[in-house]
Amino acid sequence: MTFRSVELPGVGTKYELTTEKGDKIVIIFMSSGNIQIYVLEKGCETPAVAELNPGEARRLGSILTGAILEAEREAVEIAFSALSDLRISIHTYIIGKNVVGRSIGELGIRKKTGVTIVAVSRMGRNIINPPPSFIFEEGDVVVAIGEHEQLKAFESKILRM
Amino acid sequence: MDYIAIAFLACLILALVVKKLSLPPIPFYIMSGIFLGSSGLNIVARSEISLFLSNLGLIFLLFYMGLELKLGRFAEKKSDILIGGFIDMNINMIIGFLVAFLIGFEVHDAIVFASAFYISSSAIAISSLIENKKLFLPESETVVWLMIFEDIILVLIIFLLSAEFANLFTLLLETFVMVISFFGISKFAKGYLFRIMTRGDEIPVLLTFSSVLLVSYFSRLLGVPEALAVIALGSALSTVNSKEFERISKPFKDVFLVLFFFFFGVSMEFTGELSVIPFIVMGLVAVGSKMLSGLAMGRVIHGSYFSGFEIGANSIARGEFSIVIASLYASDLVSAAVTVMVLMTSLIGSFMAKYSFVMRRILKEKVGR
Repeated sequence: MTFRSVELPGVGTKYELTTEKGDKIVIIFMSSGNIQIYVLEKGCETPAVAELNPGEARRLGSILTGAILEAEREAVEIAFSALSDLRISIHTYIIGKNVVGRSIGELGIRKKTGVTIVAVSRMGRNIINPPPSFIFEEGDVVVAIGEHEQLKAFESKILRM
Repeated sequence: MDYIAIAFLACLILALVVKKLSLPPIPFYIMSGIFLGSSGLNIVARSEISLFLSNLGLIFLLFYMGLELKLGRFAEKKSDILIGGFIDMNINMIIGFLVAFLIGFEVHDAIVFASAFYISSSAIAISSLIENKKLFLPESETVVWLMIFEDIILVLIIFLLSAEFANLFTLLLETFVMVISFFGISKFAKGYLFRIMTRGDEIPVLLTFSSVLLVSYFSRLLGVPEALAVIALGSALSTVNSKEFERISKPFKDVFLVLFFFFFGVSMEFTGELSVIPFIVMGLVAVGSKMLSGLAMGRVIHGSYFSGFEIGANSIARGEFSIVIASLYASDLVSAAVTVMVLMTSLIGSFMAKYSFVMRRILKEKVGR
């Protein structure tokens, strides 16, 4: 694999990666914030091109780093190089009917499962570190953090999925 | 005031249509000016206000260019770019001068024409590289750096052409003092200016706008070339916080530059002693000349004439800077020649840039394998 990056004044930054098999991938971070990705198969002259906005690019990036485990519910597993036996998962869930109207403390999420709700996205607004008195509404998307087993318990005991 | 509104309306409609067809807008702004101006329907005329606003477009373009003019960037670059730059400059300056001279321009006119002939349009070249999805090519890097190189030569050209109206020695001295004082102020007050530029209120915009306008005013008062003054200002301020200054001045540049092109078209009078045919010949030579310099660069830098074809095709379009040179230094005759050249090269150039892949493939099949 060879890799290089160059600055293109007025355009942005160009990253060029040639794979072991000889395929070439070029990524341009443009000043506009958008990203162009060129994929050029070995021996081919015209590339396939996709233009992504920053959000799409981040999504693609997290897929490529191998972080997403399940497609339908997003999750990221973090491993620290200094603490090799600690693996923390971060999951997002959409709140279902059986939880709506109840608070985090009332549900006893941490007591029963060990999972912590670190953020809630409600109608485009983000609530970071919601207090135990926080009451769920329909359509809330929660970000839960814990070990893999704890999250499984959260799914079965609290969300009853 | 009505004229300005008509101009904006015409340009807005054109821009919408032209962008849809992925054509460069600059030639169409000029053409709509010609069409609505004294050479056409005679609906729009120049006024004091239009002159003032057009001049704002001009000085903000040059200020913005000054902001992006970072000479240090060349220090870490390979000599390839310099060689390419010199090939491009020599071939096009010489051919540009010769064609103008042979058609019967006086030496001075021919030099001004050659300068406009040499400078490709950075705006058109870069947006066509992005739009035609060519950024993966190694040749596109050469084209991008070529545009930067040309911008630097443009500063020299502006200096030399201004020198004609003044004593070279006084001009050198004035420029020197001006550059030193701008850079001195930027260095001395860097922390203060930086803090001002990162404020959230209207002060950064006010500072940017008024500093450009003040420098333009004082340069006129003191008889220093305005174009050089605003470039120097931009270049000095880019050492403070180039990102913020670029972000703030871009809208001013974009809006007023449209008026600059439009009213340049309005001012155009095609009633000179020459018929339009020599102008068209000059436009065609302008296309051929950039193809030739492109081929030479491709051979030298990338070791292939096909690469050269790509470089040539993407650098044909002349645009904003050719018009700037024409509006600052050219007689009516040269202005008309430059206008025809810009219209032809920008349209032919964007066509060539769009279909260069196809043309290259056909050439490869015919010529070599």
